[in-house]
Amino acid sequence: MKLLNYTLLLFSLALFAILTLWSVLFYFQMLSQVKSTIDDGLANYKILIIDQVKDDTLIDQQEDFLTKNYIIREISDSYALQVIDTYKDTLIFSAIKNIHEPTRLLTTAFANEAGGFYEMKVISPVVDKSDLIREVVNSLLWLYLALLISIIVVNNFVLKKTWQPFYRLMEQLKNFSLGEGSVFKPSQTRIKEFTVLDETIGKMLKRNDEIYLSQKQFIENASHELQTPLAISMNKLELLAESEDLSEEHIQNIGNINQTLERLSSLNKSLLLLSKIENKQFAGEEQVSFNEIFTGLIDEFADYAHFSKVDIKFMEEGNWSPRMNSNLAGILAMNLLKNAIIHNHPGGEIIITVSSSSFSIENTSDDPALLKVKLYKRFNKAPGKKGSTGMGLAIVKVIADASGLSVDYTYTGRHFFKVSQ
Amino acid sequence: MKILVIEDEPEMLDSVRRSLENEGYLVETATDYAAGLDKIVSYDYDCILLDIMLPGGSGLDLLQELKNLNKADSVIVVSAKDSLDDKVRGLDLGADDYLAKPFHIAELNARIKSVIRRRNRDGKKLLELENLKIDLDERQLYISDRPLALNRKELDVLIYFIVNKNRLVNKSALAENVWGDHIDEADHFDFIYSQIKNLRKKLRESGAKVEINAVYGMGYKLTLL
Repeated sequence: MKLLNYTLLLFSLALFAILTLWSVLFYFQMLSQVKSTIDDGLANYKILIIDQVKDDTLIDQQEDFLTKNYIIREISDSYALQVIDTYKDTLIFSAIKNIHEPTRLLTTAFANEAGGFYEMKVISPVVDKSDLIREVVNSLLWLYLALLISIIVVNNFVLKKTWQPFYRLMEQLKNFSLGEGSVFKPSQTRIKEFTVLDETIGKMLKRNDEIYLSQKQFIENASHELQTPLAISMNKLELLAESEDLSEEHIQNIGNINQTLERLSSLNKSLLLLSKIENKQFAGEEQVSFNEIFTGLIDEFADYAHFSKVDIKFMEEGNWSPRMNSNLAGILAMNLLKNAIIHNHPGGEIIITVSSSSFSIENTSDDPALLKVKLYKRFNKAPGKKGSTGMGLAIVKVIADASGLSVDYTYTGRHFFKVSQ
Repeated sequence: MKILVIEDEPEMLDSVRRSLENEGYLVETATDYAAGLDKIVSYDYDCILLDIMLPGGSGLDLLQELKNLNKADSVIVVSAKDSLDDKVRGLDLGADDYLAKPFHIAELNARIKSVIRRRNRDGKKLLELENLKIDLDERQLYISDRPLALNRKELDVLIYFIVNKNRLVNKSALAENVWGDHIDEADHFDFIYSQIKNLRKKLRESGAKVEINAVYGMGYKLTLL
């Protein structure tokens, strides 16, 4: 849910609750206000009537409300003494409307000049409560609607204006990627919270970027600096192995060291290669035909595959020549093919298919399906594979990313890698 | 045969010099740009092994100097960063070959011999050892002047061994040279063995006076009988 809609929802809910509560209070407040006004009117009316009639020695008894809106009847003085003015709501039959109408009734007593005691009841029509409720609800609904609309308008404007630095920050974060020279520009805003947020995030990103770059550089430098000592060690070892006076045991030891050094060297080479690809040091793109690459690779790997008793089938359903760096294309294809041979079993097969927009490599294997999360991680070694450095698929992924290709892995009893545009 | 090695890393220089001296070359060395330039200007060499990253300047500039001097010395450019830029620029500037660090001694040997052989424009390109003779143009092996048929890989393997006679030939160096650059990614080089087995058999049956021996964990060595 968007921030805008969320606040709107909260506003409208809160407003609804407040308005409902308010309308109830308003209703009762108004009702009591109306009543007291009516009661005041009745009291005034009472005084008026009493003023009129008190001089009469004999007051006409008024028995019903048909002609006047009061009745007067004579009462005993003892009864009169206990009468106090009372107001009450009642229903009185209206002959005109032929219904019982809600009415306010004042009951009082008075004595005239002649000393007779009378009880008087004065009535006044009151507002119909259901009418009142309807009116209140009706007008409140309109008010609610009007408020809602103005809130939407104001909210839209205010929120958009207020949160503008936030949205800009969000957009920047979305487009930010470490180590690619992305620059974080803090928003020009007077709102303190946002300046603090921008500053903090800016600092954090800068720090992260620096850490990322320095780590990348460390790997690069380390692998670069390791190259020469490695080369020297290997060459010295080769020279040592040529010495005449070596025992069989010495030669075996030298051989073991050499194998270890070769593994180290190939690991180092992979790290250097990864750094170089990530640093975009493979410039220059051209149409590269994967058909030709595979034809060459299959020839190069023929003896290796034959020795591993793996059969390579090459199906050319089409020609695929994407625009990319030719070295990277070769390395990409080679790594996938090499993997398919290494992780195969004797008597297994590899099917390479090139179509007009992709190529795929499918191989038999004793290994179960690979975990997608770990698939392209560096040093992700298959257990028990001694010669593996665990870099092959990491290199494949980095090349694909750098060349705008996608790699998909599926497992259907066979391992299946597909590279497409 | 006189070879100049221009290399700033003393240990590296030492291994290369020892290895080349074992081959019977006369080796001179320079460890920086100025010393290298001095030697290049003053003497002629059959082959110059030129590192690109040098203290005081770039090896590529030395190559340019060499060209300006109209010298015919063969040059093999060596670069620690096996970047294609260096390779392309080096070859453009007239280098005869390019070798990426790290390299095997056997590969260095093979490259130097190949470069020197190419310089030798007159006459047939022949490789001879004991009663073995390989016509490199025809790609034909003769043993005691009788032709012996070898397949492409067997012949390449044999050439590599002859160039590196009595030297240790590293398995991965041999694989890269004969099977292609990409093969060094293979998790083992045992497949080389079947070619070598065939080659050994053919050589033995034809009475060749050489023998290929395995060196544990390293590779092979061709020795004279």
